[in-house]
Amino acid sequence: MKEFLSHLFIPKESNNHRAKILHHTNLFLTIVFLLLTSFFTQKLKVSFPSVLGVKADISSEQLLLLTNQERQKEGNSALVLNEQLAQAAAQKAQDMFEYNYWAHNSPTGKTPWVFIKSSGYRYVYAGENLARGFSTPEDVIKAWMASPDHRANMMSSNYQDVGFGVKLGKLNGEETVLVVEELGNLNMPIAQNNKIQEVATASDTNVSHKNVVAVNKKPLINISSFPFNVNVLIVLLFIFAFLLDMIIVEKKKVMRFVGHNIDHILYLILILALVGVFGKGVII
Amino acid sequence: MFAKIYKHSAYYISLIVILILGFLLAGSNSNRSFQIGVTIATTFFYVLWGIMHHLINHDLNAKIVIEYILIGAFGLTIIFFLLSVNGNY
Repeated sequence: MKEFLSHLFIPKESNNHRAKILHHTNLFLTIVFLLLTSFFTQKLKVSFPSVLGVKADISSEQLLLLTNQERQKEGNSALVLNEQLAQAAAQKAQDMFEYNYWAHNSPTGKTPWVFIKSSGYRYVYAGENLARGFSTPEDVIKAWMASPDHRANMMSSNYQDVGFGVKLGKLNGEETVLVVEELGNLNMPIAQNNKIQEVATASDTNVSHKNVVAVNKKPLINISSFPFNVNVLIVLLFIFAFLLDMIIVEKKKVMRFVGHNIDHILYLILILALVGVFGKGVII
Repeated sequence: MFAKIYKHSAYYISLIVILILGFLLAGSNSNRSFQIGVTIATTFFYVLWGIMHHLINHDLNAKIVIEYILIGAFGLTIIFFLLSVNGNY
């Protein structure tokens, strides 16, 4: 085992003075392995959703609490959970799953206002945030707060009511949880159809009683963190291998014609950082 | 080793700038298509930059070109794997 690991990571005569793991064949095999794993994970997701699936625990109560906490920090009044807006948000989420789209306006031309109006909420000011692919309400609120437009929507003193739609379903064949936040005000004498922001989030099971909607699904393996962790480990392994290879060869003063390890290390650090970006949910 | 890095500092600084720019562009926009486009473009520049550097140093050969392409493909596969499994694209 020791010999095998040494052959894999230490540049020496037996591996032509280049860590075996960094040889072209092994790089190619790693790519093939990742593609195959991706393919089989997709199959596993479909066949055994209770084993490998979206893990989410998001409720409108938690979203409201966190939203109001953020608003209070800035001295804004707390929003009130509105049943009609919650209904509009649930319908919007349902519509996105039904017509398979991820946008503020549906492919059939429905704007967010259509859902709000059809719920009976006669607003003078309304807005929408969407989130998708998040596991916790904290992550949803954090993502919205990090985006200037969504943040402005959430913090706006133009709104007094809010409704959340949290639904688990399939978009583009992928299981995901959508979070829809509809904001509104019945009283303010301002022109209608102001700002719309959309943010989509993911979660599971749909429990609905009164204004409270929630998704709570806990598969054995969380599809959100599993690929993230695997990728981080693989990239770190290669960074370590390149670093070790560079140091040892430099120490032994071996002459060889290969690419610059520093280039590869820098590029892999970028990939590691991008894994953090792509590993998160999406907001619009 | 550090002397070598220092000798090629202009090249490494430009590479770091490209990579940081790629990360900032991808991270600052929540549009997935844009993020993927930026990642592919950054990878392309990394491969090109690496090949150009070896060309300038007169030590470029086919194996080195393949190495850069493979590392670039590896990076993109990592992102593809992540997006295809978590479905957030």
